[in-house]
Amino acid sequence: MRMLRHLQYWLTGGGPHIRVADFVPETHPVRQWADTFPWAGLVAAVERSVAQRFPTPTARGRAPVATRVLLALELLKHELHCSDEQICSQLRTDLAVMYACGIGEVQVDGSQGHFVLPEVLAQFRSRLDAAVMDELLALQAAAAMEAGLVSPAHLVVDTFPSEQGSQRVNDAATLYKAKKKSSRSSGISPITAPPRARR
Amino acid sequence: MRRFGRQCRGQGKVFVTLVRQTETQLLTTGRQVGGLAQAAQAQVQSAGQLAEDQRIRLATQLKVALAAHQQIATQSQRLTQGKSLSQCKIVNAYDPTIAPICKGKSNCPTQFGRKPGLIAEPASGFIFAFALPVGNPADPSYVVPLVDKVQHAIGQVASRPTLAIHSLAGELALNDSKLRETLHGRGILTVGIPQTVEPLTPAPTPEEIRRMLHEAGLPHQRTPHQVQLACAAGYSRPVVESIIASLLGRGAARITYKGQRGAIVQIGMAVMAHNAATVRRIHQDRLSKRAQKFRRLLRLKRHKANEFKDSKN
Repeated sequence: MRMLRHLQYWLTGGGPHIRVADFVPETHPVRQWADTFPWAGLVAAVERSVAQRFPTPTARGRAPVATRVLLALELLKHELHCSDEQICSQLRTDLAVMYACGIGEVQVDGSQGHFVLPEVLAQFRSRLDAAVMDELLALQAAAAMEAGLVSPAHLVVDTFPSEQGSQRVNDAATLYKAKKKSSRSSGISPITAPPRARR
Repeated sequence: MRRFGRQCRGQGKVFVTLVRQTETQLLTTGRQVGGLAQAAQAQVQSAGQLAEDQRIRLATQLKVALAAHQQIATQSQRLTQGKSLSQCKIVNAYDPTIAPICKGKSNCPTQFGRKPGLIAEPASGFIFAFALPVGNPADPSYVVPLVDKVQHAIGQVASRPTLAIHSLAGELALNDSKLRETLHGRGILTVGIPQTVEPLTPAPTPEEIRRMLHEAGLPHQRTPHQVQLACAAGYSRPVVESIIASLLGRGAARITYKGQRGAIVQIGMAVMAHNAATVRRIHQDRLSKRAQKFRRLLRLKRHKANEFKDSKN
């Protein structure tokens, strides 16, 4: 009951900080999944790549969202099969998602300083490129090999198809459909009309 | 190659006529683009209120847009003249990097998308690298870049310097003799290439091992034990399918991010999420019996379930 009151306080008003790790069980799948990543190396690689290709951000305005949070959100999006809006919404309320994003403590008031807008996530994604993705995967593989969990000795290679999602309809398809639709609506000819049932 | 969906026949004559008519209309409409682009370029150059870097950025964007238009116009001209298109035809005006992912007949609809390649450990399903080339190149062209990426990752391991790729298994990709020679030159055995209709034996005899080592030219680089392990790992379609299914379930089935760069980011994130889930399974010892046996033979670490005590966050 005390814990519930504590949580309710966090949802509605101001107060002390909550330690996120205390509320996410060690056996929680998202916690175990998040603990496998070599976060320090991944974040450093992304920041190095972004610093080389983009101008340094100004100190004015709201403090930027940490790279660790954005990278974790992007990965969680795939793991939990969410859209940008859904994962950003989960970050506001789901303590396991907060843990995966490396948020150690949450302010117990309604202001929710840790929130991330979906637009910020999309902007972060637009700054990633093929080189940094290769680097991130190499770091993850190196960490797994270093820990003796996997071995590159015997490997298998293959390809698979990925469909193009949300593809725009081209002009040819539109015209074809319009033609078909107009021929249908122009009326059924007596030859093709279905025979009437006999009484 | 793995494909999705059902191939069904369409009305070929209708599509060909319709495409030719549409392309003629598009070419007529697009004639004005050249003149308009030149005028816009002149306006950008003469605009005094724009900063230098802004002007350069706009000019570059205009140049890229014009190049895309030029590509589409060339393709349209070929279509109206009844000439066949080159291998990497443009199927989406907004993303010229999308290509047909299987080569079918001209009167059958074909899927458009991308064909990522992956290189993975068959025991656990951990993916070491992926490749996503532009268009739909032949399968053998994936192999060497993927091997290079794995060797780059091995180079980053400091505490275990003896790591190396001993063997590579593949269905279609390793049928190319030139590619096999390249891999043998790097000291990598190639297995899973069916020379007869009979399936490869997972436990080869000493004579067969000697023959394999001799054919690969690696009798001094690879040991008979490594050949035995390579044959035991082999190429198993269910193993590959399980890795692919895991990726498809993590958003690799439909590419929704824009362009080639977006597709690489999406596939890359799906691969990393899959790898994290794989490592979690290894930690919990939730592996198949075959994988457990293979891991024992490779002397890989076996984790206990209670090793998650300390937070790594």
